[in-house]
Amino acid sequence: MRILTYTSILLLCATLFSCEDVVELDLDGEGGDVVIDAWINNKSETQGIRLTLSQSFFNSNTIIVRDAVVLVNNETRGETYEFINADTASTYTFTPEAGSNIGDVGDIMSLSIEHSRGRFEAQTTINRVPPLDSIQQEFRDDELFSDDGIYTQFFARDPVGQGDAYWIQTYRNDVFLNNASQLNIAFDAGFDAGSRVDGLIFIPPIREFTNIINEDGIPAPWDVGDEIRVEIHSISVEAFNFLEIARDQILNGDNGIFTLPQANTRSNIIRNNGQEALGFFNVAAVSSLSDTIVEQ
Amino acid sequence: MNKILWQLSLLVFACHIGYSQGDDHTISGYIRDAANGETIIGANVYIDEIQSGTVSNEYGFYSVNLPEGTYTLMVSYVGFDSQIEQVNLNQDIKLDIEIGVESQELQEVVISSEAANANVSNTEISVNKLDIGTIKKIPTLLGEVEILRSIQLLPGVSTVGEGATGFNVRGGSIDQNLVLLDEAPVYNSSHLFGFFSVFNPDAVKDVKLYKGGIPARYGGRLSSILDVRMKEGNNKNFAFNGGVGAIFSRLAIEGPIVKDKASFIIAGRRSYADVLAQPFLDEDAQGSALNFHDLTLKTNWTLGEKDRLFLSGYTGRDNFRFGDDAGFNWGNATATLRWNHIYNDGLFGNVTAYYSDYDYQISFGDDSNNRFDWDAAIKNYAIKPEFTWFLNTNNQVRFGGQLIIYEFDPGNAIGVSEGEALDLSLDNRFAIESGIYVENEQTVSDKLTINYGLRLSYFNYVGEGDAFTFDEETPVGRRRMVTSVESFDQWESIQTYANLEPRLSLKYQLNEQESFKATYNRTAQYIHLLSNTAASTPVDIWTPSTNNIRPQVSDQVAIGYFRNSKDNSFEFSVETYYKRLDNLIDYVDGADLLLNPFIEGDILEGRGRAYGLEFYLRKNAGRFTGWASYTLARSERLVEGINNNEWYATRFDQTHNLSLTTFYDVSKRLDVSANFAIISGTPLTLPTTRIEQQGFIIPHNVDNARNNFRIPVYHRLDISATLQGKKNETRRWQGEWVFSVYNVYSRRNAFSIFTRQTGNGVKEAVRLSVFGNYIPAVAYNFKF
Repeated sequence: MRILTYTSILLLCATLFSCEDVVELDLDGEGGDVVIDAWINNKSETQGIRLTLSQSFFNSNTIIVRDAVVLVNNETRGETYEFINADTASTYTFTPEAGSNIGDVGDIMSLSIEHSRGRFEAQTTINRVPPLDSIQQEFRDDELFSDDGIYTQFFARDPVGQGDAYWIQTYRNDVFLNNASQLNIAFDAGFDAGSRVDGLIFIPPIREFTNIINEDGIPAPWDVGDEIRVEIHSISVEAFNFLEIARDQILNGDNGIFTLPQANTRSNIIRNNGQEALGFFNVAAVSSLSDTIVEQ
Repeated sequence: MNKILWQLSLLVFACHIGYSQGDDHTISGYIRDAANGETIIGANVYIDEIQSGTVSNEYGFYSVNLPEGTYTLMVSYVGFDSQIEQVNLNQDIKLDIEIGVESQELQEVVISSEAANANVSNTEISVNKLDIGTIKKIPTLLGEVEILRSIQLLPGVSTVGEGATGFNVRGGSIDQNLVLLDEAPVYNSSHLFGFFSVFNPDAVKDVKLYKGGIPARYGGRLSSILDVRMKEGNNKNFAFNGGVGAIFSRLAIEGPIVKDKASFIIAGRRSYADVLAQPFLDEDAQGSALNFHDLTLKTNWTLGEKDRLFLSGYTGRDNFRFGDDAGFNWGNATATLRWNHIYNDGLFGNVTAYYSDYDYQISFGDDSNNRFDWDAAIKNYAIKPEFTWFLNTNNQVRFGGQLIIYEFDPGNAIGVSEGEALDLSLDNRFAIESGIYVENEQTVSDKLTINYGLRLSYFNYVGEGDAFTFDEETPVGRRRMVTSVESFDQWESIQTYANLEPRLSLKYQLNEQESFKATYNRTAQYIHLLSNTAASTPVDIWTPSTNNIRPQVSDQVAIGYFRNSKDNSFEFSVETYYKRLDNLIDYVDGADLLLNPFIEGDILEGRGRAYGLEFYLRKNAGRFTGWASYTLARSERLVEGINNNEWYATRFDQTHNLSLTTFYDVSKRLDVSANFAIISGTPLTLPTTRIEQQGFIIPHNVDNARNNFRIPVYHRLDISATLQGKKNETRRWQGEWVFSVYNVYSRRNAFSIFTRQTGNGVKEAVRLSVFGNYIPAVAYNFKF
């Protein structure tokens, strides 16, 4: 059970007299390590892998790593897909032929990257994903923390058998809702490996993290006419751990006096010197459902 | 096992003690406060003829064994007039002595009595005592008298920050403090996180903190014992105490049930911010609650000359409710039954039976088809027989034991999703902890007194329940997965542990005003609080030692120099300590501590060390009193899998900690007080770099370091003034106004600094101050 679910209540009480001030701080860590952003899927569409360099925390520049050879292998099929970096693009891409994809559920996939900064290798498996059953739209009266309006939730059932992990992504008019507090990951039908919520319909609030989040971090209603698309991406257990730490760390400041210790995400990519690299390699199977928001 | 027990009990008798029956006789009895009949703990009984004496125990009982003759007993206690009794000792004598609160005029005389140098002359080292009278004078947050915040003004006590639950003693974590309320452990000693403690000052008699030199009679925690003793209740007259403050309203009633034989005290408090706020809440917030309350009660009966019974209890709860659909409450309950029996004039016995419980409930959702209900608890039942054997003036032997049955209820959670119920509950866990001890306080010579003892503790983690085995191949620092499960029946032993815990304190008196003291103690702890947030939350749960979690063990040595001057009106001490802690608990990155049946797979084991130098200077007499404490300290951890397997400073490591607490009597009606603290910033971990993944900016620490940064220096000044109502002899009602200002100059002390990303990708560092401003308060207290 994540701390997320109850700290909001605790914090309200703990912050009766507290205040927050933005301060100047020198967090000039040494960057320059290759970061591999390789979250691809088996949809029959263009797949992208991005290579950047890590930066000191407050540095806002993004430095793209070019001139790398990026190969994804489907070990099961014995096929290799070369991801190409067009001169101006920031992403290495590969587009499968119409009607085909880079792999199926159960296929073993590997990544290999050659660059003057090093050689990187990773391996993963495409895991199963359940179909999306429905997206429900509902008009809700205003509550203590949220306005009245149309809210959504999705329904899908986790298949029986422990150890399935998912990243549920919501798109509004084709724009990915990427507020970190909506980084919606599930282990089986629940929050985490310990919860043993297997083979059930995804529990709330997982199925409700399909809503828009406003500037205050509070769910906001949809507009009539909006298009909502929910995608479930299957991820590996290591990817789940990676995203869980990422989310906790991005949002850690919201925990007030109950902050978690700083933790680094753990990569599944290994450098040729044997050390763990930065970033992650996951190949997802995806199920998807779209709907248009209508007056309730 | 039985063999060890037997050998240990033999040890009681094997202690080399010059005990001769001869023509010796015993003087024994209780020391009481003449005004209300309360027994007095730690009163000094000095026998002029032999230039030696004894001290009353936790129940106010004393006993001295002397050859036939005529003796002069002087009984003294700080803040009371000394009393002198002539005794012609030709048979065993029972002598209860009542002493009165000192009159102002006699103050100088009393201060020069022998008792005032107890801090120099007794064997206690690394022990601080605060009487409730002093605690009440310390300026406080919102005018509420606070026991746990008061002890933070003592050397060696630190905290993660304001508002954090609990306290840290000499580098120990908060679960390493045994907080006792009339012998029953209190598992969460805070209301509203760490802002207020559960102890109602109207019901507290005496507070003692053992930071080291922990006598063998205490066990079960590594770092400290906070022994809070409740008042017994006035057995002469009815008395009412109460107050109206910014947070609480309080009322306490005490009085005799049968005069001089039985009395009671009942004291309650309730916060009422929500009551006042209710009319102003909008419709959505109706039904919201934010309150905490507690009720403390105690009663005692004297059953003839040899027996006394005490029954005391506490119950308290913090209650939060937001609208109709979210609620959260937590609280403790304790009950203690004690029976004092005087077997003969030299043997005093006490048997305590207690129950203690901490639990919380959380619920979300206002419709029965979609809701989440979650509760958890730790309960324990214990019996603790203890004996004090006043062998002679040179030896006071204590022996006894303890048996605790624990029931851990780590979480019952039922989720209902679209009418489909989901039981996430964890199995209860059970354990039995037992201990036996013997200790002797031996006066070896005029100069040398030694308190030595041995405690044998034994822990049995029992069924009914499942024991897990985890993958040993997993790299250290990563979550380990379960490889096998074995089921155990009720009371079937899953894992046992035993520890021998030697304890030693000695005092070498240089002269009447100066002494050296030294101590060594080993302590073992079998239950652990699982918490990995900066401040512990009320939902943190306790776990027993299991087949995967070993008991924590600590060794500490300390030496100190104690000196009083100007007729004991100044007390000075300096102590240095080194403490080593083993089998400490830490967690893998991303650990799930709640509702996780495989929590043991997320736990790492580490070591700790803490060392420091503590100075304490106290002025007891005159119109200007108070104390200064300064601690120079370091507290570190070494955990494989954290900080690249190198030592790192703990989150509550404070290099320098200076605090000044002062009181000044302006006039008979007006007292003022102030305290000032300046403390090095505590360490925390901040990211140094960032990595980009799927449009998210993930903070990263390039060295994978823990606590790589320190928050700025903390300092704060608080003041308060107490104005007594005009004295009117014909009226019983006495009132006083307390005016206080906390954080006088509105310092925004950092609790933490964290990084944050705003919606548009801007990254910033933010300082979180628990108090952003000065906080004035007025309270009115009364008694009649």
